[in-house]
This record gives sequence, C-alpha cells and structure tokens, in this order.
Amino acid sequence: MAPTNTEIAHRLSALTAPQRRRLNRSAVAAVVAETLWLPQAALLAWGLAGLATGQPLPLTWMGLGVAGLGLARAGLAVFGAAQSEAAADAVIGSARLDCLRRADRRAPEASAPSSAATAALIVDKLAMLRPYLLRWHPAQARVAVVPLLILGISFAVSWAAGLILAISGPLIPIFMALIGLAARDASARQMDEIAGLNAMLIDRLAALIDIRLLDARDRMLADFEHRADHLRRRTLEVLRIAFLSSAVLELFAALGVAMMAVFVGFSLLGQLGFGTWGEAITIGEGIFLLLMAPAFFQPLRDMAAAWHDRVAAQSVARDLLADQATGDPQIIGQGGSAPARGGPIAVRGLVLRGRDMPDLDMAPGEAVALTGVSGGGKSSLLLALAGLIPSGGAVRIGGAVLDDKTADAWRAGLALIPQKIHFLDATLRENLAPDASDTEIAAAIQLARASAVVARLPDGLQTRLGEEGAGVSGGEARRLIIARAALRRPAVILADEPTADLDDQTAAEVIEGLLGLHRRGATLIAATHDPRLIAALPRQIEVGP
Amino acid sequence: MRSLWHILRLIWRDRGAAMRRGLALTVVVSLFGIGLLALSGWFIVAAGIAGLAGLGTVFDVFRPSAGVRFLAIARTAARYGERLLTHDATLKALASLRVRLLAGVSAADFATLSRLRAGGALNRLTADIDALDGLAIRLIFPALAGLIASIATLIGLWYLVAPVVALWAVGVTVLGGVVVLVLAGRAAFVPASRAETRQQALRAGVIAHLRGRAQLVVAGRLLDSRNTLLDQDRAARRDALQQSRVEWRAAAMLQAVAAVALSGTLVLAGQHVLDGRIGPAQAALAVLATLAMAELTAALQRGAAELGRMRDAAGRVAAALETPPTVQIAASETAPGLQLCGLSVAPLPGLQPVVADLDLTILPGETVALTGPSGRGKTAVLNTVAGLVPAMSGRVRAGGLVGYLTQRPALIAGTVRDTLKLASPDADDGPMRNVLAACALDLPLDTRLGEGGAGLSGGQSRRLALARTLIRRPDILLLDEPTEGLDAPTAAAMMRGIREWLPQAAILIAAHRDHDLIPATRIVVL
Repeated sequence: MAPTNTEIAHRLSALTAPQRRRLNRSAVAAVVAETLWLPQAALLAWGLAGLATGQPLPLTWMGLGVAGLGLARAGLAVFGAAQSEAAADAVIGSARLDCLRRADRRAPEASAPSSAATAALIVDKLAMLRPYLLRWHPAQARVAVVPLLILGISFAVSWAAGLILAISGPLIPIFMALIGLAARDASARQMDEIAGLNAMLIDRLAALIDIRLLDARDRMLADFEHRADHLRRRTLEVLRIAFLSSAVLELFAALGVAMMAVFVGFSLLGQLGFGTWGEAITIGEGIFLLLMAPAFFQPLRDMAAAWHDRVAAQSVARDLLADQATGDPQIIGQGGSAPARGGPIAVRGLVLRGRDMPDLDMAPGEAVALTGVSGGGKSSLLLALAGLIPSGGAVRIGGAVLDDKTADAWRAGLALIPQKIHFLDATLRENLAPDASDTEIAAAIQLARASAVVARLPDGLQTRLGEEGAGVSGGEARRLIIARAALRRPAVILADEPTADLDDQTAAEVIEGLLGLHRRGATLIAATHDPRLIAALPRQIEVGP
Repeated sequence: MRSLWHILRLIWRDRGAAMRRGLALTVVVSLFGIGLLALSGWFIVAAGIAGLAGLGTVFDVFRPSAGVRFLAIARTAARYGERLLTHDATLKALASLRVRLLAGVSAADFATLSRLRAGGALNRLTADIDALDGLAIRLIFPALAGLIASIATLIGLWYLVAPVVALWAVGVTVLGGVVVLVLAGRAAFVPASRAETRQQALRAGVIAHLRGRAQLVVAGRLLDSRNTLLDQDRAARRDALQQSRVEWRAAAMLQAVAAVALSGTLVLAGQHVLDGRIGPAQAALAVLATLAMAELTAALQRGAAELGRMRDAAGRVAAALETPPTVQIAASETAPGLQLCGLSVAPLPGLQPVVADLDLTILPGETVALTGPSGRGKTAVLNTVAGLVPAMSGRVRAGGLVGYLTQRPALIAGTVRDTLKLASPDADDGPMRNVLAACALDLPLDTRLGEGGAGLSGGQSRRLALARTLIRRPDILLLDEPTEGLDAPTAAAMMRGIREWLPQAAILIAAHRDHDLIPATRIVVL
C-alpha cells in the first residue's frame, strides 16, 4: 500500500527533527540577509534621486553603505549555509545508518530488494536530502516573512503600488500548488525508473558471460538503450515541469515588475492622479518601489526553484517508508562476533516456505547427511540452522531457542559451506581468515587438498578472486571454501553439497578432510545427493516429500 | 582535462545543432536580463526628471514601457526554451554515451569479464555519466554566455554612459568573478574528486557488503563490515561537506564582489553626474545594469565547484570507452558435428596450457563425456570450443549453433519466462513449458526469481540455466557438470530429456563423476 501524504510529511519531519535548532538558525539568517536588501535599495534610490534633483549628496558614504550592507548579507549567507550543511550532514548520516541496519537484517531470499536498489537508496537517494535542507528550508522561511514586509512598506509609500504586489503575489502559490502535484508524481516515477535501471544493470553486469554465450548481447544493449531512453524521458518530464513552473513564476514576477515600472513612470510624469496618500510620489520613492518589486518575488522564485528538491525529499521519505514496511524474513541475531556457545541441536515442528521439515536431534560430535529430492528444502534447513532465515523458535541449541540473543554465539562456533560460492572483494587470505597465522592457513589448505590450487594462483594468497570464484575452477573454489571452514575451528559444520564439482579422487580427499574435522569433535551436517558422501556419514535424514 | 574536452566533443558531435541553439538562447537570456533592469532604471529616472520639468506630456512613455514588457516576456520564454533544449540535448547525448559504455564493457574478453565486479562497473554506467551532465549546462554554456554578455554590456555602457563607468562595472564583475571562480574551482578540485571517489567506493562497498551478507553473518563479521562502511560514509560526507563549503563561500564572495561593483558604480556614475558629464538617467542605467550582471557569475559557481568531480568521471568514462573491443567468433564450418584438431588450451590467455594436442570428433547424435580430475582442463576445453578463450594451437570446427551450460551460470532477476526470453525472445509459452519439462524442471513460468536467480535451489537454478541454453536448439551442446546438485532420478530424467529435445545435437559433457548417469557414447579421459 502506498503511504499517504500525511505519512510522508511525518516521516520527513521526523528525519529532520533532531536538527531543528540548526535549521531554525539558518532560516533566521536567510530572513535577515534578505531584509538587509531594503536599506541597500533605499540608499541606491536616495542617491539616484539626489542626482536627478541636484541635491548635495554624501556620495562616498553612500557607496560605503551599499558595499557594507552587501558584505553583511554575504556573511549571513555563509553562516546560514554552514548551519544547514551541518544539519543536512547529520540527518543523512543517521538515516544511512538506519537503512544499513535494516538491510543487514534481511534474510537472503528472493523477496529481498536487490542490493543495487538498497545501495541506491542509502548512497544516492539519501544524499538528495542535502539540497532540500539547504535550499527549500531557508526559502520557506523567507517566503513567510519577506514578501509581507515589502508589501507593507509598498502600501505605506503608495497604496496602488501595494495593490499591484498584493494582486500578482498570491497567484504564484496557487500555480505552484497545481504544478507541484504533477511534479510529485513525475519525480516518483523517475526515481522508480532509476532504481529499476540500476537493479537491471547489476544483474546483467554479473551475467555478461552468459549473455554472450546466449548471443543476447545485442538484445541486452537494445533493451538497455530502451530503458536508458525511458529514464531520459522520465527525467525530462520532471525537468519540464520544473522549468514550466519557474517560467510561470518568472512571468508573473516580470509582469509585476513591469507594471510597477509603468505605474511609477506615469506617476512621476504626473499623468496619474491616484495611488498615493495625498502627495505625489517622489523620484526616490519611485526608484525604491521599483528596486523592491523584484525582491518581493525573489523568495517565491527561490522556493519554486527548490520545489524540485522538496519533491525529491518527499520521494526519499516515501522510499524510506516502503523500506521500513517490507515484512521480509529476518536474519536471526546481529551478525557480530561473540564467544562461541554450542550444545545439542534440536529441531521440532519446523516449517520452511510451507514445507514441514523433519524433526532433528543431534548431540555434539555427531554427523548426518540430509538427503532428498532437489528443491525439497535441504538448503533451507541448513540456512535455518545457521539462523540466516527465521525458524519461529523451532530450533533449539543446548536447550535455548535460537533467537536474536543466542544466534551470534551459536554462529561463532559454526562453519557454513554454501552451495553458491561467494568471495568477498578482498584478497584470498582475507577471505580465508583475516587473523590466522601462515601456519594455520597452510594447515587448513592442506586439509582441504587445496595447496596445489593456491600454488598455481599468480599472486598466491594475495590473489583477488572474482565474486563467484573466477580465476579457479569450480572444484578448486569449493576446496578453498572448505579451507575457510576449517580455519574457523568450528564446533559445527553445515555443508551444502560440499563435494559438488569434484572428481572421485578429490571428492574422497575432501570427504576425508571433513571427516577429519568431524573426528576432532565437530558436528557435521551435510546436505547432499552424492552417494560417496552419504556412504561416509553414519546417519541419513530424508528431507522433503 | 583532456578527457573532459574529449567527452565534450562527443556530446557536441552527438547533439551539435541543439547545443548551438541552446547556447544562442543562453546568451539571449543573459543579455535580456541586463537590458530589462537597465532600461527600467533609465525609464523611471528619465520620467521623473521630465515630470519635474513639467514635460510629462511630451515624454515618450510608450516605447520604453513596451520595451520593458517585451524584454520581461521574451526573457522568460527564452529561459524556458534554453533550459529545455540544453537539458534534452545533454540527456540524449548522455543516454547514448551510457549505451556505448555498456557495449564497451560487455565486449571485453573473457578474462576481464570473469573478474568484473558488478558494483564498480555500475558506477561507471550511472554515477560517472550523471556527473557529466553539468559539463555543458553548468560550466561551458554559462561561461561562454557570460563572456559574450559581458562584452556586450561593456560596449553598451561605454557608449551610453561613460568609458570609466563601463570599465569599472564590467571589469570588477568579470575580474572579481573570474578570480573567485578560479579560486573556488581550485579549492574544490581535490575535495570534489575525492568526494565522488569515496561516494562510488561507498556504493560499491554497500553492494558487496549486502551481496556477501550471509557469509559475513556466519563469520560474525557483519558488524565489522558495517562499521567499515560507516567509516567510509563519514569520510565521503566529510569530503562532500568540504566541497559544498567551498561552493557557498564562493557564492558569498561573489555577492561581496557584486556589492563592491554596485557601490563603485554608484559613486563613479554619481561623480560623472555632478561633473555634468552624463545625465542622472544614464547613471541609473549604469547602476541597475551592474546590479543585473551579478547573475552572470552566480550561474557559474556550481559548475566551478564540480569541476574536479567532472574531470575524474570524464577520465574514467573516456578510459572505458577506449578499451578496444575484442570480438571473438567461434570458428564455424559447414560440416555438421564438432571436430577438434590438435587442440591445446590454457584456462586463460597467458597461462600454462593444461591440455595439449587434443583430437576429437563428435558426430551429430553422439554424446561424448570428457572426464579427469579437477583442474585438468575440462572447463578450459569447453571455454575454448565456445569461443570464450582463444586456442593456443590447433583448430575447432563447429558445424552450427553452439550452446554452452557453464559451471557457474548466472541467472537474472525476473520471472522464469523472462529468463527464457533472454535466450529466445520470440518463444511462446508452449515451447517454454516443453523445454522446462525436458530439463525435468517443474516450475510455473511466472515464478519470480530474485537478484542473480535467488529463490531457487542450486539444482533448480542449474536446470533453468540448461533450459535457457536448450531453448535455442543448438547443434553443438557443451555441458559442464550438468548433473551437479541433482539427485540420481532427476539427473537421469534430465539427461534423457536433453537427448529427446535435441536428437541430432553433438553433445560434449565435462564430468568427473556419475558417469553412469550420463548416457555417453564415448568417454575421453584427460
């Protein structure tokens, strides 16, 4: 369900609430800086009028006054921007932490948002809060104060001049509201398009070899061209609305200023006998009115220019709400390090993806083969035992339910050999064990029968392998993963098809290695179809229908 | 800087006409803006003087006031047109640059592709290209338009007011503006480029962290990895903060320059009036023109601060575009079947050969199993036959379309139907269901897969990848460990299904076990 506008507004103000004081200071600075234009304009008007009427003038002092007021405005701008910047930085930082925490807890399942989409939210979209806080917030404050002030002064000088502003001013917010509605939809569509394009790209980039083998490269490029063009049109749609709104505003502002110029001009020529409080307006008053007219519209124009930033911030808030609302299954525990705690494993009445799992009881040091048809849930059972998907309290370790409090300690004694191999973007050594000594690593590699593999790599342990182990064969990658498992000195080993991709001899060696760890006291649970491995394990449990 | 010019030339070549029109409109906008304020100031003061002198009835009010209205409306229209035109042209040019970039990345050789990290490549295609969108719009155009408008204003004030006033107003604005912008550009250069690099590293880091999170959780390193990312985030934000600090300080300095120019013009023009050299209306014209000129430099300030970021992005994009595409074509001959003559192969070009002098002929309808211990080059042979890796010596003669199920096929997000459509865009549901049945895979076509095919079991993903290969009905079929992760009955059913689906294909299978599951007509041991 899409969040309502009120929810979005609440989310947005909740985001910025902790920085309220800085934002207020920046708003005050913006208002004062804008107001200082009035004495500056008065000095200019006085000077030009004095020149026209031939009165004696302290020209140099007036020049210094104009320059001094300008410098003061510049100083206030620096102060205000510094406040907004600090506020924006703090808001973005805490929102990023929040999002990352949430994303970290999501179980690796089909329903989880793509990592590229999450990264786009964390890195790129949250950064859009910066222009919102830097531009929209101060503009909003100025709109609340400055136009009314100028309107009041204009009325005091001449009621007709005030009337001109009073009529053309309010039209602007009405137009802006209309345009803003369209802008929000367009901007939301554009953001969705960006996220979709990123998710598509990251998937295609990871599958480039497959795409080439399927002769699908031209199709992929055509597809991408289509999507890129789509994004361009969506972006232009957003820009067109933004440009149109600022054009409308400029038009009103320009007409307002032009009307003011014409009114002042005709009044000075003596052709208009109305609009003042008695006496005709002077040249000085006329110039002052003319200089103030653009300043009357300026805050409104700035607010319109920042409208897009506001809409972007609203769609960020919308995405945050959607991100919070996903009811994705969660990883149990925090994923931090903890002192290891084990014990007998007991599974009772576990249901995963609507499938009943067999009950399971294992004393420390036992070994078992999970067998059953492909797709029957063997891998899911291993993931549940590792606490990577929720088990609803059906898994107990040493009598304690596997939950957020116990999971990290349980995993500290656990090694997982997954079916789909993943290497982190780091050296092989860091992937195996960042803190282990050379001897320990050599021993583990020996155990996994991977010494020849490492010896053949161009940079040995310093090699960076591809995400799925590119650089070594499938069997070699699996042996490296087994070495990684051995280095954890695990009390429990969960292995998903550990002998996949291995020939008879290597498989026998790897099985021997796993049994070696098992004989040292480790519990071994292996999901497998491999008759060689099933035969080597004392117990077999059928999973699935 | 050269790569920046290179990218600019590419954009210009792609969208030259629109860019030229956009530039012309930018100049018009700048000139009309200055003209509007100058004319209004002159008009009011001149009208005031005429009114004082009692000449109100003979003063021509209509032409100046019509001019004010015309400039106001024309400027608004020109601004709208200019923005739309330049943004449209830039977005179009960048979209085609993106496609060229992906074409370049995907044409790289097998060795490069297999080591490609998706996050980094994504940065090239999205963030780097996005960084370049301000190159024309926020830097080149405002600079050129500002220059032209300044020259025009100089000439205008020189003749309409006085040379000294013109030199002061334009000189202080332009020189002061250039000094501030150059200083700002320099000061922001390093932080801007560092901010972008750090942000890209953060993005790639978040992607790698999330993709590897299962492994990190089990290793108890998720929190460490997250803390590393948070450090990266702090560093990235610090640089971004530094960059924008330069930006708004530059804005304030430009405001200060404008104030100095304005007050100087007031004093100088006022002195000229007191000396009787110009009229008060001309002084008003000069003061208001100076006021309007502040917009010229303000338009440039963001572009100057982004220069470092743009240069780095342009460098990376230009380098990625220059990578010579290596196109490898599988050797094709008319004789049906597959023939390998004296073939020597290495896993990757430049490595030691693992298989030497292999001779093998597979006739249509035959199935040959290639066996041997892990690391003996079974996969290397298949990669070479499929044309991913060039042969070191010897020849491959493939009679027809080659289909290849690799050891680690990558699936894409979407439905099962989308997966099959990637291989065969015109296939209907009927053949799709048949090919899934041939692979002993019972999945509805609408089943949704997550990123990289997440949600399927290992055996299911392999069979879906096989179905994707089979749906193209290849004449030569290469299978690397096809029965991996399958129970024996499923594996047997699948192998039968493959043969029934492709009765006349020459099939070469790399396998190290379960030979009994593979109905091979011959077995070759490496």
